[in-house]
Amino acid sequence: MHIPDGFLSGGINIAAFAASAAVCGYSIKKCGNDLGDKQVPLLGVTAAFIFAAQMLNFPVAGGTSGHFLGATLAAILMGPAATCLILALVLILQCLGFADGGLTALGSNIFNMGVVGGFGSYFIFIMLKKFLPDSRGRFMAAAAITSWVTVMLVTALVALELAVSGTSPFAVVFPAMLGVHAIIGVGEAIITTTVLSVIYASRPDLIATSGNI
Amino acid sequence: MMEHSFLDKYSTLKSPIHSLNPKSKIIVLFLLLIISVSTKPTSFLAFGIYALVVFSLIALSKVPFKYVIKKSLVVIPFVVMVAIFIPFLKKDAVGGGISFGFGGADTISVSYSGLIIFFNILIKSYIGVLTVILLSSTTSFTKLLKGFEELKAPKFMIMLASFTYRYLFVLADEVIKMKRARDSRCFGGKWLWHAKTIGHMIGSLFLRSYERAERVYIAMISRGYEGEFNRIATPSMKAGDFAFITLLLTILLSTRILAA
Repeated sequence: MHIPDGFLSGGINIAAFAASAAVCGYSIKKCGNDLGDKQVPLLGVTAAFIFAAQMLNFPVAGGTSGHFLGATLAAILMGPAATCLILALVLILQCLGFADGGLTALGSNIFNMGVVGGFGSYFIFIMLKKFLPDSRGRFMAAAAITSWVTVMLVTALVALELAVSGTSPFAVVFPAMLGVHAIIGVGEAIITTTVLSVIYASRPDLIATSGNI
Repeated sequence: MMEHSFLDKYSTLKSPIHSLNPKSKIIVLFLLLIISVSTKPTSFLAFGIYALVVFSLIALSKVPFKYVIKKSLVVIPFVVMVAIFIPFLKKDAVGGGISFGFGGADTISVSYSGLIIFFNILIKSYIGVLTVILLSSTTSFTKLLKGFEELKAPKFMIMLASFTYRYLFVLADEVIKMKRARDSRCFGGKWLWHAKTIGHMIGSLFLRSYERAERVYIAMISRGYEGEFNRIATPSMKAGDFAFITLLLTILLSTRILAA
């Protein structure tokens, strides 16, 4: 999912960079106001956690493997603004440290995974929770659906950006990428709900969006 | 058993490139990337020159080529997934197509415009990967952060990054230990439903790291943390830095302008 240099057109990279910078600026302000100085170490450790969790690959099919994205989990645990910053940071570290994802495509990668992954999955989750009564099962169902939809949403966005840049035709890349990620999304949903139930069992106070389940 | 340098291995070597100010490296290598991605795909000579520049800098930096090449393979999965079939999709075939003998519709042929698109993304992404590896293996992470800070990157993000960097090793270590514990209990996870085991691992990883963060925060407060780090000042830009910036930008910009 980490787009390297040269895959997207300059216009898309610049627009996505501007959008990401604006949303990250807003998120920095919001985190600074809401959470105080305690939050910097906590966010730092959560970012390191997402980074480490992404090291655990799970096999999908035919030799390909997927790893945990973590956007939905982070959004449910810490809210969208913190999630956006955490994912932006993870992407910056992966880009600079592992050369995973291009430096000129960094704005686009942050837009796809941080902005859309973080804020998108938060709003999907809140909407789903509105329509479902408060109970633990429904909470987990909402988390599972959100995880899957977020993976598909981010994938569709990447496919769209590649197509608009003229890199690969939409009709080919869209079904191919969505097909693989439909399975990766199931993995994401299983992991998100399992992690949530582990946290729920011992530290339910850490789930910001749990409400009164 | 910590892998202390898995982000910036070889960044402690001594070489002319290592001793440059991090700011000048960030500026030059970032401009190199911008110049490279904005060059039109048929300027083969220009890409040759960019690659030559990057490889000369790598040679000067004494970072082993084998390590650089091995690390640069990270770009392969994305290229394979997205780009490998592009040369076969366009209509303007070069040379004869290969027919599989079911009539016309299933003829596979390599097209010129498809090959150009493929070359374009391959060369640009590869130059990008090499450049970033050059930056991270000649600059230690703390120096890199200091460079970004002096180039006016948001302070909050710099703080966040330095915390994350400190914990990365601890948590990566934790993951390696958990993996070892899991595998010694005969995991053999080959199927999607083994994702549940990974979920349990990630769940306990989260709890362990969150509680560690709480403990660390209390420890920091009790030692007088007030929301800022005191770091050693990095030396200012020297004549060598300005010479490096001028020389590199002259080569790159003139190549780019001549190739346009």
